[in-house]
Amino acid sequence: MRITAAEVAALSLSIKVALLSLIVTFPLGLLVGWLLAKRTFPGKAFLNTLVMLPLVLPPIVSGYLLLILLGKHGFIGRFIYQTFGIEIVFSELAVVIAVSVISFPLLVRGIVTGMEAVPVELENAARTLGASPIKVFFTITLPMAHRGIIGGTILGFSKSLGEFGATIMVAGNIPGKTQTMALAIFSAVHLGEDVSVYRLVFISTLVAFAAIWLTERFTLR
Amino acid sequence: MADGTKIRLDFRKRLGSFTLEVNCTLEAKVSAFLGPSGSGKSTLLNCISGTLAPDDGEIAFGEEVLYASASKINLPPEKRRFGYVFQEGYLFPHLTVAQNIRYGQPKPRKSSAAIDVLEISEFLQRYPRELSGGQRQRVAIARALAMEPRMLLMDEPLASLDSALKERIIPYLHHVKDTFDIPILYITHAFSEAMALADEAFLIANGTIIANGEPHRLLTAPAAMPIAQLTGVENTLFLPVTASDKARGLILLEIGDQALVIPYTDIGIGEIVPVAVRAEDIIISLEPDLSISARNILKGTIQYLDIKSEYTWLSILIDWHHLAVKITHAARKQLQLQEGSEVYCVIKASAINLLWD
Repeated sequence: MRITAAEVAALSLSIKVALLSLIVTFPLGLLVGWLLAKRTFPGKAFLNTLVMLPLVLPPIVSGYLLLILLGKHGFIGRFIYQTFGIEIVFSELAVVIAVSVISFPLLVRGIVTGMEAVPVELENAARTLGASPIKVFFTITLPMAHRGIIGGTILGFSKSLGEFGATIMVAGNIPGKTQTMALAIFSAVHLGEDVSVYRLVFISTLVAFAAIWLTERFTLR
Repeated sequence: MADGTKIRLDFRKRLGSFTLEVNCTLEAKVSAFLGPSGSGKSTLLNCISGTLAPDDGEIAFGEEVLYASASKINLPPEKRRFGYVFQEGYLFPHLTVAQNIRYGQPKPRKSSAAIDVLEISEFLQRYPRELSGGQRQRVAIARALAMEPRMLLMDEPLASLDSALKERIIPYLHHVKDTFDIPILYITHAFSEAMALADEAFLIANGTIIANGEPHRLLTAPAAMPIAQLTGVENTLFLPVTASDKARGLILLEIGDQALVIPYTDIGIGEIVPVAVRAEDIIISLEPDLSISARNILKGTIQYLDIKSEYTWLSILIDWHHLAVKITHAARKQLQLQEGSEVYCVIKASAINLLWD
């Protein structure tokens, strides 16, 4: 009944990818969230739509679009391949990109909700007290929006942990290389490895439960 | 005030169908902008503080231009160094009182005149939510002063407090005025606050300054028609309380050597209170001895008589106070009223409103 090496690899890949994705998307999410919550500019509705699109699209479709963009003949993929000699698709990097795109709307949604709740009057008050816009962001907006930011981060992180559709399109399902938890479960079900399925499903459920519970703790009061 | 702290305002700001248009110079230690809600007072203050950009014009503090549409100058709020006290306080809820005070301080320091003057040292370690409304407002004033501003902007700092609390905060404002050598711009819709604090008042209505001057004179001036436009009440008088009779439910105010009776409220003897009477609530009689229920029969002289298309307006002098009275042409003819006529103004006690709010 011991957990197998392949299962450990899938679990650790999921965690590693989710963490890497968080490191990349968090600063970007703060910037985009701040723009959407606090600024008015031309193209705001378009930016919002673009960011939120993966939340509504079937992940398979998002994954397919990424595959087109990032493949060796894709718009971005060709450029990267010719410049750096790196092939993005069917690599760990592809997994990170896939889960980042899919989890980004959840992260941004939480950040926007948190920042929208910070009254602009308080930010203006800070400005009159001599604070630059950057200082206002770090001393007023960010700390006051912390519940929404933490909530969005946890939701986004757990979405990354369990992402399936986009990952399998862009990164495939290569055990030990691009096979995450969700993909390992998919394979185990197909192969009829029931015990493995039970273990992985149990671990996934535990992680999801903990994520939602933590979110509730930080966002509700 | 020295020339270096004169504030020159000459700008316009449109918000929807509303336009604020000001052109004035603030030279007093405490200037008050007095007007009803929606008159543009807060918009004015936001333009001065830099949190809102005017559409065009110029704002200058002494020699320094803060905003000028012609030369595209618009100093951001953090560069203006104007302490701003908001009606709602706007203390930072995630910071303690001490951290709120420190937020704008140019150099961190333990003691501060602001903390002493506002007497807030006891609750420095508390959070804003743990303070009462009055304490919060004192902290807000201290925070604005701790940044060592070159001017203090106050937007109805007492409006969210009940009248008992207001009375307790006003001495602090006096203390601030005496301790800190900076000009103060005070915005209010309450006559009493402008009276209590300001050296010069500007009446503002519908986005325009309609009169300015020393508050007492401004508000008691005979042609204080701006007041009428502001409040819908033509007569505002500032009268001292001479007697208070709770049992009979009356207060006596002194108007010259006569007494004006108004309904009872809890006011100390000797205090000067603003009262308002509508021009149409005053009845003119030629006789003082009337068997009527009205409590006030005041002797006065018609100073001038203004015959308009629908009504006759009288300006009646009682001691040095003027009362505007509106009567019909028929009444004027029947009583044969002329300038210089001696008349009696009959006013029900309940038609006289105290302007405290």
